Amino acid sequence: MKDLRPVFLDLFAIRLPLPGIVSILHRISGVLLFIASLYLLYLLATSFGGETDFEKLRVDLESPLHSVLLWSVLSLLAYHVVAGVRHILMDLHIGESLRAGRVGSALVLVFSLALSVLCGVWMWL
Amino acid sequence: MQVSIYRFIPDSDSEPRMQDYEYDLPDDRDLMVLEVLENLKAQDPSIGYRRSCREGVCGSDGMNINGQNGLACKTPVSEAVSRDRLVLRPLPGLPVIRDLIVDMSQFYRQYERVEPFLTNDNPRPAQERLQSQEDREKLDGLYECILCACCTTSCPSFWWNPDKFLGPAALLQSYRFLADSRDTATEERLSKLDDPFSVFRCRGVMNCVNACPKDLNPTRAINEIRTLLIKNGT
Repeated sequence: MKDLRPVFLDLFAIRLPLPGIVSILHRISGVLLFIASLYLLYLLATSFGGETDFEKLRVDLESPLHSVLLWSVLSLLAYHVVAGVRHILMDLHIGESLRAGRVGSALVLVFSLALSVLCGVWMWL
Repeated sequence: MQVSIYRFIPDSDSEPRMQDYEYDLPDDRDLMVLEVLENLKAQDPSIGYRRSCREGVCGSDGMNINGQNGLACKTPVSEAVSRDRLVLRPLPGLPVIRDLIVDMSQFYRQYERVEPFLTNDNPRPAQERLQSQEDREKLDGLYECILCACCTTSCPSFWWNPDKFLGPAALLQSYRFLADSRDTATEERLSKLDDPFSVFRCRGVMNCVNACPKDLNPTRAINEIRTLLIKNGT
């Protein structure tokens, strides 16, 4: 018999609970951080190019584009670290219940958002 | 209320489709999703789904209700429905046999792999093998699983590695026997779980805990297995 069996796996039709959303964002932020590391390496390499290149880069980094990029990288890093700490706590059997999972996920969002805002304050104010 | 049901009849459909039905809810009481299905099936006998006990004991009517896995017999329409719409789809990640009926073979293979039976190589006592009350209590929250597959089919790690990752339901059962004071096969059980996929593909997403209609906690059981594996020095 020909196997005609479909599989329902429409990710847009499946409702992810809050811990699930925090988990997928953890993964996405990890991938984006990896990509962002190329940008950071580019900045580092440029800064090693000599005194004039370094000065030019220092001025360039003040531009809105670079500021926003750097702030985004810091925000991603903040989220990734905070969500990672939650995983470490879970490995230590802290926050494993359904309620603790929901509260923990909400705390990850609150803390990382707060860190992201703090980074913005530090950079622009 | 509009009820939208995932339809796939292998004899006539080449692709699955969604079919909409109008349903008049009674004013005086809440219905369970299964009751709605039963009434719709009376109008349209071609709708396929599994059901048996209709009280959350047999685990036959696990399905995806408005995006979330659950038992149709235990899910009140008032809780599930959103914007006057009830959307019923089969459990995700398993091949659909017809409409809301999925092929559970993969799920049962995972269950088989954890050898869900007591193993004890000590001589058999005259009557039963005894257990202290404290040891018996360790099995609470583990033995109640009805194998409805709501947890496993809500797990992203299962979706991507159904053949290698054992999934929350099988791992809960695995820990049920690891935690049993009468079972003497702990070492063998752990050595069969000791690879990068069987247990460690769990990423603590916790969709399983959210989906379980019996309020069990596979995430906790999986973490206990991990701790045992680490303590075992493997």
